[in-house]
Amino acid sequence: MKKTALWLGACLLLIGANATWAAVPMEITLVADNANPQSPQMGDHMKFISTIKNSGNAPAQGVVAWISLVQVDSGNEQPVDLEDWSAHKAVTQASLAPGGQITVEWPMRLIQAGDYRVVISAVERSTQHIITSPFIDFHIKRKPVVESQRILPVAFGVPLMLGVLILWRIRKRWRA
Amino acid sequence: MSPITLIARKESAELLKSGRGLAWLLALSVILSVLSLLLVSNTELSLLDNAQVVYMVMGTITALGALLAVVLGSDAIAGEKERGSLVPLLLAPLSTTDIVFGKMGGQVVAWIVTYLLSLPYLWAVGSSGQNLAEAIVYLAVFGTPVVLGFGFYALGLSARFGSVRAALITALITLMLLASPLLLGPGLRQSVIGKAFDAVNPFSAAVNSFDSVVIDSQPLSMQLGRLSVTLVWLILTLWFARRSVQAVEI
Repeated sequence: MKKTALWLGACLLLIGANATWAAVPMEITLVADNANPQSPQMGDHMKFISTIKNSGNAPAQGVVAWISLVQVDSGNEQPVDLEDWSAHKAVTQASLAPGGQITVEWPMRLIQAGDYRVVISAVERSTQHIITSPFIDFHIKRKPVVESQRILPVAFGVPLMLGVLILWRIRKRWRA
Repeated sequence: MSPITLIARKESAELLKSGRGLAWLLALSVILSVLSLLLVSNTELSLLDNAQVVYMVMGTITALGALLAVVLGSDAIAGEKERGSLVPLLLAPLSTTDIVFGKMGGQVVAWIVTYLLSLPYLWAVGSSGQNLAEAIVYLAVFGTPVVLGFGFYALGLSARFGSVRAALITALITLMLLASPLLLGPGLRQSVIGKAFDAVNPFSAAVNSFDSVVIDSQPLSMQLGRLSVTLVWLILTLWFARRSVQAVEI
C-alpha cells in the first residue's frame, strides 16, 4: 500500500514536471513612449510599448497579451476598467517562433487623476502560469473638466432671461 | 417679396414673436440647463474628459433640434388642413417648391435660434477643454442637414397623412430609431447589423463625426463620408417632401 502511494506520488511529480518542461519561456518588456507628456494630466494621451519575446526553443502557440491598469492611491487601490481609457486592450498571436518577438503599442487616454501602475500580462497555450512585464508607475494630474463657476450663470441666466422676455411680450400684448 | 419669404416670415413669426410661441425656447433652455447642471453635480459625469462632455451636449442639441423640426414639420400641412386654411394655401398661385421651402423657413429659423441658444452652454461646459471651436463649426455643418432632413421628412408625412397626430407619431418613432446611437454605446453597434445601421444612419454620421472631431481630434478629410450621408439624407427627405406636397389634393 505504502509502495503504491509512493509510485503514485512519483508519477504526479513527473506529470507536473513534464508540464513545466513543455512551457515556452517568454519575456515581456514594457517602456513608456518617449512622446508621452512629462507631467500627464486628465485628457492627455499616453502610449506604452511592450515587446513579447519567445526565448525558448519551441514555438509559442496561442499567445494572448493584455494591458492592466491599477489605481494605487493610498486608500483607493483598485483595478481600473479600461472601457473609457483605451480601445486597444489586448492582442493575440496565433504562433510566435523561437527567438521571435512582437512589439505592441498600448495607447490610452487619461480619464481620471491619481497614481497608477500599468502592466502587460501574457499567457501561452502550454504555459501553466501568467507572464508579466515590469510595472510602470505614473501620476495623472487633476484637471478641472466642468467648472461650476462657468456653468451656473449660464444654466440659471439663460432660462431667466427668456422667462423675462416672454413675460414682457405677454404684458405688452395685454396693454395693446 | 417672394412667396417663399412671405410664408417663411409668417411661420417664423408664429414661433418667435408671440409670448406663447417663445415657450418652446424657454423649455429648450431649461433642458440644456438641467443637462449642464447634471454634468456639474454628478460625480461620475464630472470625471469624464471635457471633450466627452462637449460631445454629449452636441448630440443632445442635435436631437432637440430634430425633435423641434419633427413637431413643426408634422404641423406644416396637416395642421393647415385641420385648421381649415389648407385650401386657400393650395389655391394661391404658389408652386410646390414655394410651399415646401416657405414652410421650412420657420424650421430653419427655429434651428438657427436653437443653435445660437446652445452656444453659451457649449462654451460653459467646453471652454477649458479641447476642440471647442471645432465643436461649434461641426454642430452647424452636421447638425443642419440632419435637423432640416427631419423637418422635410415630417413635412412629407404631414402632407401624406393629412393628420398631425399620425404624422407626428410616425416621425417621432423614426427619430427615436435614428437617434438611438445617442443611447447605445459604440460597443453595442459593433455587430454586422449595427455597423450597417451606422453606415446609413444620418444621425449616426453626425454623432460619430462629433466623437471623431471633438474627442479624437481627427481632421475633416476623415469626416467627408459621414458628411455625404447627412447630405444624402437631406436630399432624399427634400425629394420626399416635394413629392408628398405635390400629391396633396383639395
